[in-house]
Amino acid sequence: MTTVAHPPRTSATKAPVQPSRKGSQFVKWITSTDHKTIGYMYLITSFSWFLIGGILALMLRAELTRPGLQFFSNEQYNQIFTMHGTIMLLLFATPLFVGFANVIMPLQIGAADVAFPRLNMMSYWLYLFGGTMAFAGFLSPGGAASFGWTAYAPLSNSQFSPGIGGDLWVMGLALGGLGTILSGVNFITTIFTMRAPGMTMFRMSIFSWNILLTSILVLLAFPPLAAAFLGLESDRLFGSHIFDPANGGAMLWQHLFWFFGHPEVYILALPFFGIATEILPVFSRKPIFGYKGLIAATIAISALSVSVWAHHLFATGQVLLPFFSFMTFLIGVPTGVKFFNWIGTMWRGSITFETPMLWIVGFLITFLFGGLTGIILASPPLDFAVSASYFVVAHFHYVLFGTVVFAMFGGFYFWWPKMTGRMLNERLGKIHFWMTFFGFHLTFLIQHWLGIKGFPRRYADYLPTDGFTFMNEVSTAGAALLAASMIPFAINVWITRKSPMVNVDDPWGYGASLEWATSCPPPRHNFTSMPRIRSERPAFDLHHPHIKTEGH
Amino acid sequence: MPHYPLPMPLEPRRPRSRKGLKLVLLAPLLLALTSCAKVSGLGYKEGLSSVNDTSLPLWQGAWITAGIVGVFTAGLILWAAIFHRKKNDEFPKQSQYHIPIEVAYTIIPFIIVAVLFAYTARDESRITNKSSVAVMHDITVNGMQWSWQFTYPEAGTGSNATITGTPQQRPILYIPQGERVRFTLTSSDVDHGFWIPAFMIQMQNLPGVTNHLEFTANKLGDYPGRCNILCGRDHSLMQFTARVVTPAQYRDYVNSLKASQS
Repeated sequence: MTTVAHPPRTSATKAPVQPSRKGSQFVKWITSTDHKTIGYMYLITSFSWFLIGGILALMLRAELTRPGLQFFSNEQYNQIFTMHGTIMLLLFATPLFVGFANVIMPLQIGAADVAFPRLNMMSYWLYLFGGTMAFAGFLSPGGAASFGWTAYAPLSNSQFSPGIGGDLWVMGLALGGLGTILSGVNFITTIFTMRAPGMTMFRMSIFSWNILLTSILVLLAFPPLAAAFLGLESDRLFGSHIFDPANGGAMLWQHLFWFFGHPEVYILALPFFGIATEILPVFSRKPIFGYKGLIAATIAISALSVSVWAHHLFATGQVLLPFFSFMTFLIGVPTGVKFFNWIGTMWRGSITFETPMLWIVGFLITFLFGGLTGIILASPPLDFAVSASYFVVAHFHYVLFGTVVFAMFGGFYFWWPKMTGRMLNERLGKIHFWMTFFGFHLTFLIQHWLGIKGFPRRYADYLPTDGFTFMNEVSTAGAALLAASMIPFAINVWITRKSPMVNVDDPWGYGASLEWATSCPPPRHNFTSMPRIRSERPAFDLHHPHIKTEGH
Repeated sequence: MPHYPLPMPLEPRRPRSRKGLKLVLLAPLLLALTSCAKVSGLGYKEGLSSVNDTSLPLWQGAWITAGIVGVFTAGLILWAAIFHRKKNDEFPKQSQYHIPIEVAYTIIPFIIVAVLFAYTARDESRITNKSSVAVMHDITVNGMQWSWQFTYPEAGTGSNATITGTPQQRPILYIPQGERVRFTLTSSDVDHGFWIPAFMIQMQNLPGVTNHLEFTANKLGDYPGRCNILCGRDHSLMQFTARVVTPAQYRDYVNSLKASQS
């Protein structure tokens, strides 16, 4: 490490190295109750879903490049975007949070494992089988579910969407959702009961705080979704009338779904805000600016996020517009606070741009724009203009891709040495970042204009006279670049698989939270000795005892 | 006295100045502040409908606000990223809290969104306002897989008052220019979305629910209308044309529907 001013301490806690055969390694993994191993399984599985969802996205972009149907029928196109949305939100991003939380959170609070290690393993298997089940619809005679990831009733009932693909989708996601609920229970219990001595709530890292608040949101949001799914399946299979339009079922579904759906956005965002908040101080060589205010802002966001679901229903004509509009606007305030916490952390720092930092600055810029279009969409009159168009598609890709994917790669590069004991290559990491950054903005920026010009989301086709062709071509070109950006990452993972071990606790040199006070990778029960925890930067205090934090 | 040119003092080589870069970063902010004389419609045209009249200024105002906030915030991020790089091995000041700044960045965003909300609430109630007095025409818009049915009650109660389109044959919705129309939105099967992008207006057609929407179209012409709520296989074919005609032409059209009964 060329940028380390003070040589990091060599690790006193090296994990014992034992040679092992590949088969026994596999059995060890699938029978493991170690939070780190389960976390790696979550990360690998969710990243695999990310690649599958990405391939589906490329299929959508290929079809939309030119007017007319070139590759798929309308029905196939509907199946592809349904599964793209489902995979990206429920099989990639949500379990990715569970993966990062599993690997990092117990280390950050100084725990030996999560509170319920076997339940943790069960969550994983529920997720894997549930996800596979939902995807298996593609193998069924009628194809996969095609009613959109939002599954609006009555379109999603057995009259309008017959076929086993829809049933597999509903029950698969209900199963996977149960896994997510159990993970939420696990994380909350772990954080409340298993913090190391001295690790008070207000010394806990922001990432762990965000995992706590995310898990609470999971418990609020996923049970209503499970209820909605089971009700829908009961309608499909047993002919019940829960979502019968004659009983107000059309609105009931929209309310129930978005009562899950909006907190879900924050379930996806908060953990990745947490990752950003871990990385920024390390490469700015400063503590987090306004730590307690940042926690307050996150609590405010979590609370507000369960009171804004009906902004997805602005165009139904059936909701109280001013209330939900005002609540939605209000979310902009704590989100703004977070931005200034992040900027304040960087301000007058001693910033270096190792790859993780680059990803997080990319996240800040991308998410900023997504947040601003979110303010636009908080206003019902403007929703009447652009709701359900590509403007909204562009907005939520800025918010979700900007947060989840940018922070995910930031987290991968940042914690790779902690997880594997080896560094990823910096040069390839930077190539990876810039390709992703330009590919992303090329794909999605222009979609705002596409929406304003009147292109609705979920359209398989358009006419040459609509004037959408050029913008769709640009977007597809961006998607190709975005897809190609995965190549340097794959090469990176491959070529560094046998690079030398870092052999220090903190290869970045300025790590703050507790995971940087144990070896890379950590031993089975995480710590062989626990440093004294006197601030929210225990590892930093340990490695730089002469540096004082200035309170005000 | 002879005038000698002063010898140029040899300046010591300074580290590369980043002053120019600072100016470049400040320029868009100044540009944004000084170029507000005539704001474009940002994708929408003025005067097409009563909704445009209300929403377009809000759209412009919201974007100007977002633009200023965005340029300011992105500017701060890039400023720190460029000018607060590591220069030596000294640790920066480990400052953690600054109460006045923290209070400021909580209150200022609150004021911004409060102002935006005030305009939103005013404009939103204007658009959703149901004024039975000013309404001159009624049209029922029914969504069905995968086209539209337009019913003109002025043409009587028979089936001839209803025009039904097909995915291949897009129906035409006739709207009289300058006269307020109340649209009644229904659906015979699944959720649909009645959207005329140029008029900045949409509302969902929901089965089991009757929705109402009122506006006035102000400029003659054909405008594309599209279903924007996924409604099954041929969702992307569920389109129509909104044709704004003069009140006289509209009366002729309604009369022609009436006449087709006999």
